Amino acid sequence: MAVDMRLPTVRKQISLSGSQSTDGKHLVVPGDVITSDTGFMRGHGTYMDDEKLTASVAGEVERVNKLICVRPLKTRFNGEVGDVVVGRITEVQQKRWKVETNSRLDSVLLLSSVNLPGGELRRRSAEDELAMRDYLQEGDLISAEVQSVFSDGALSLHTRSLKYGKLGQGVLVQVSPSLVKRQKTHFHNLPCGASIILGNNGYIWLYPTPGQQDEEAGGYYTSLEPVPLPDREVISRLRNCLLALAAHKVLLYDTSVLYCYESSLSHQMKDILKPEIMDEIVMETRQRLLEQEG
Amino acid sequence: MRETPLSNCERLFLLKAIEEKKRLDGRQAYDYRNIKITFGTDYGCCTVCLGKTRVLAQVSCELVPPKDSRPTEGIMFFNLELSSMASPGFQPSRKQSSELLVTLNRQLERCLRNSKCIDTESLCVVSGEKVWQIRVDVHVLNHDGNLMDAASIAAISALCHFRRPDVAIQGRDITVFSPEERDPVPLSIYHMPICVSFAFFQQGTYLLVDPCEKEELVMDGLLVIAMNKHREICSVQSSGGIMLLKDQVIRCSKIASVKVSEITELINKALENDRQVRKEGGKFGFAESIPKERITALKREQAPVEMKDIEETADEIVREAEAPSEAVHSPVIVATGTGQVGEGLQNTWGLEEEDAEEEFQGGMDGKEKKKGTVCVCVCVCVGCAGFTHETIVQLV
Amino acid sequence: MAGLELLSDQGYRLDGRRAAELRKVQARMGVFAQADGSAYIEQGNTRALAVVYGPHEVRGSRSKTLHDRAVINCQYSMATFSTAERKRRPHGDRKSSEMSLHLKQTFEAAVLTQLYPRSQIDIYVKILQSDGGNYSACVNAATLALVDAGIPMRDYVCACTAGFVEDTPLADLCHAEESGGGTTLALALLPRSENIALVQMDARLHQDHLDALMEAAMMACKGLSKVLDSVVRQHLQEVSVLTRE
Repeated sequence: MAVDMRLPTVRKQISLSGSQSTDGKHLVVPGDVITSDTGFMRGHGTYMDDEKLTASVAGEVERVNKLICVRPLKTRFNGEVGDVVVGRITEVQQKRWKVETNSRLDSVLLLSSVNLPGGELRRRSAEDELAMRDYLQEGDLISAEVQSVFSDGALSLHTRSLKYGKLGQGVLVQVSPSLVKRQKTHFHNLPCGASIILGNNGYIWLYPTPGQQDEEAGGYYTSLEPVPLPDREVISRLRNCLLALAAHKVLLYDTSVLYCYESSLSHQMKDILKPEIMDEIVMETRQRLLEQEG
Repeated sequence: MRETPLSNCERLFLLKAIEEKKRLDGRQAYDYRNIKITFGTDYGCCTVCLGKTRVLAQVSCELVPPKDSRPTEGIMFFNLELSSMASPGFQPSRKQSSELLVTLNRQLERCLRNSKCIDTESLCVVSGEKVWQIRVDVHVLNHDGNLMDAASIAAISALCHFRRPDVAIQGRDITVFSPEERDPVPLSIYHMPICVSFAFFQQGTYLLVDPCEKEELVMDGLLVIAMNKHREICSVQSSGGIMLLKDQVIRCSKIASVKVSEITELINKALENDRQVRKEGGKFGFAESIPKERITALKREQAPVEMKDIEETADEIVREAEAPSEAVHSPVIVATGTGQVGEGLQNTWGLEEEDAEEEFQGGMDGKEKKKGTVCVCVCVCVGCAGFTHETIVQLV
Repeated sequence: MAGLELLSDQGYRLDGRRAAELRKVQARMGVFAQADGSAYIEQGNTRALAVVYGPHEVRGSRSKTLHDRAVINCQYSMATFSTAERKRRPHGDRKSSEMSLHLKQTFEAAVLTQLYPRSQIDIYVKILQSDGGNYSACVNAATLALVDAGIPMRDYVCACTAGFVEDTPLADLCHAEESGGGTTLALALLPRSENIALVQMDARLHQDHLDALMEAAMMACKGLSKVLDSVVRQHLQEVSVLTRE
């Protein structure tokens, strides 16, 4: 089978047109003095150096009244209460699981924060503790919500709702956390025939839309029936679209993903990841999004 | 065995003391501990005692083919070993190159090899075929801080002390003479680089020379400067996550030059002494140099302690202390050999019935006077201290 | 090396530079998509690649976690094809271990580790082509990679080498100048506060020349910091343009 090969070419310089670059965005690098005024409060991304407020990361300065903070371009996931995350179990410890969520410390899923299969509400006993591995093992993917944040920054998750729980068959796409837009709901059933979970931590889960809606107890039951081919094709196409959008740093939410999918229908699935076709599709998507806003 | 970490109160105490310019052993900030250099019976064996830190260096040589890139130069090989003897924290089972080992080895190499203190060309016997390989092995015997300085002093002293066998070349034949046939030849040493360690505390505000082990555990970072007595800097290395300013480095180099000349003097004197003793045929070697410590003789080394304000402080403490409470009540005799002094609970020593009654009465009397009585262990002490009954009677 | 003078009478060095001139520096951030931060730098013919992962949970031995700070884990290695002769042991030998240690110490001083207790930051640096100034190229590449990863630092850490020939300090030595037997000073500096994070010098130098040599190295570091600054700002502009649209 023929393989696509390319020779290296000079990278296209991103055009920085005058109006956009001087749009009042205050960009700083580590060590830059933001202000010497002592009236401001110090937020994230800054530190005090001899009465001067200095930036410690490279990014944009955000000012809210008296609070100055610097938001870096790329950072690990900093969770807040209420965020939906998709994570992988790394360890099974006493009375809790450790979940890896692309943040700076592994998140914690306490045994008391999961729904027992069967939906019972009772105190967790010693047998429950011993049977933890039957519910979730190392390597399982789960969707959960952030319940609280510990003092050192680790997140405490819970899956106390039917829509959260262990994830079955599907595709995981990892992007930067800053690209996922915060919305009311992160679970979408796309009209093109697949479903998507946009985790705030940058992990996006694509799966075939489940047939019946009455699943027992928070998704511990994973169906292993083979997924039909058209569904798989839809999911693959969606995945490539997500990667294309992420490469061009477009904010990801259900509308943008959908527009991108529709723009890509004219191309073959495997061509979507080629740079020039990626450019084309993303440009179309951006245009449609602008039209929709305006 | 994992090393116990330093406790927080010790740490705070040390830092506070350093802020007040005081060190645990009474030294000044720029003072070295006592350095003792002794040589062994063989040439090239040297032990250095820097306070309680003890390091042994041994130099040996071998004829080997030279490196391809440098056919006319001899080979120098340095090796430093840390064993559990030096400190329980050094374990042989840990991965081969632990941080400290790597640092010490590299610093030793850099100090001695890159500075070209030894003339390697003179080590060449037959160019391209046979050269001398000089191997310096340094073993740490006791770790009480500042291993780097001790190791460098030991290494350079051992190199100065070492004599290699004489060789004669006839055509392609090399004859190596044993020490009996011909006197061994010393190495040609250009200069003596010595490492001086500076410990920094409180983000570089305070500086100490020759840190002892406790000070090393508390320090922020270390700066090692290797110099020789001609005021040439052979190597500079900063370690630990500290920020330095250029002036600090310059200042340290000035202090180092003073220290290095002192230490070089000391090494030369030790070498001279050893040479004298060998010439005169006296006893030399380690057996002579290790002090004889007998249990019946109580001997301590003199330690310099600052006594400047001690008297005033002592007087002040005495003045401000409360006067002791009222005088002790006279003892109440309960039975022969038992007395009661002071306040406390009932006597529980097993006395006979009639004594118990007497004692009870005595206790009652006692209670009238004061709250309770306690039996002084006079009887017991009698046994231990060798008092006789007569003595007790006198006490009574 | 008879006849190969490091500084000619007219003041030109082996590669035609002046005494205080730096080599050409080219750098790029965000080279790898899967790492948290990555950067590539070319200083003359020396090429280094740095990758940063973190901060993340401490993997491996739990005993390494510090309760109040992040642990910085550095690994330095040279590609086997980076030197004129093929390198037998790219990492694990004493020189690489020492270099990794120095890198770790340099960045422990510059990164604000108190913000990430109980986590670990990994910095991996690889030399792709070695032509003198290995340590400096590593430090510069790692600084850019840390900025790319969004890890808070006090300031840039810039490193440069300096040498001393015939009473003139030379800045940014190449391999021939380093191995020529003269003095080599490697300095890692935080330019704004002029704090020295690491200083390392081999070979003999008279004490009086130390001041001039350090001064030359610091000037070179400051020049380098301007170049790194422009690279970072360029990258910032590009990405912010992309995210805006």
